[in-house]
Amino acid sequence: MSAPKNDDIRSALERVWQNSRPEAISRFATLKRFAEKLRSGTCDDVSRDGALLAAHRLSGSLGMFGFNEASSCAAKIEALLSDGPTPDGEVMVSLVERLRMLLEETQTSSGEPERHDS
Amino acid sequence: MAKTVLVIDDDRDIREVAKASLELVGGFIVIVAESGIRGVAVAQEAKPDAIILDLMMPDLDGQQTLSQLKRLPETASIPVIMLTAKVQADKPDFVSNGAAGLLVKPFDPMQLPDQVCGILGWSAAGKDVGRNVSAKE
Repeated sequence: MSAPKNDDIRSALERVWQNSRPEAISRFATLKRFAEKLRSGTCDDVSRDGALLAAHRLSGSLGMFGFNEASSCAAKIEALLSDGPTPDGEVMVSLVERLRMLLEETQTSSGEPERHDS
Repeated sequence: MAKTVLVIDDDRDIREVAKASLELVGGFIVIVAESGIRGVAVAQEAKPDAIILDLMMPDLDGQQTLSQLKRLPETASIPVIMLTAKVQADKPDFVSNGAAGLLVKPFDPMQLPDQVCGILGWSAAGKDVGRNVSAKE
């Protein structure tokens, strides 16, 4: 891999991430609302389906931008939501809180996604 | 001549990152479509060398889109790589349904072109031409 190509792709990724960050925050808000409904016993199929889609999208996109830990956390939420109609509320709240912290780290980072492990 | 790859995914982030990766790293020509219905139409018209197809999409999902692509004479022979999340990767048997292989999200943009070439048995033919190629939209 030549250095110029590395620079090109990193610039492109940074540009896409800056555009998509607000959407990532919005998707997280969907998860947070679902976790609150789950805790209060008021969750329904619509909010669960919305949360599943939000977790799926976050898992897929965050990892591409190099935010591997946040992606993995979103994948755990997606798996939990895929497991059954009534996810464990405590686990869900804990994972959503963890994801909140990881997303905050993406906002305080230099803006350049971390390198992938591979 | 660089090979053309059609990326079908309803998630804009995935489309944009895959396009950047396949063009800038792999040197492919990339076309994108935001739905299965649109993807089938684009594939019929553009006849790409390969298709990367997301599994989880509203309306026409990846499985249904794959079935349509394999039924149509213009697109039946185009290799299709399914793109899916880790949690769904072990569910359907994509290859027996006509897919050439499977890519798991999230993918590493630096590795995606090599993964595509590996699945399709392509040499890195598209590489080192990306800077001179403007993508078709």
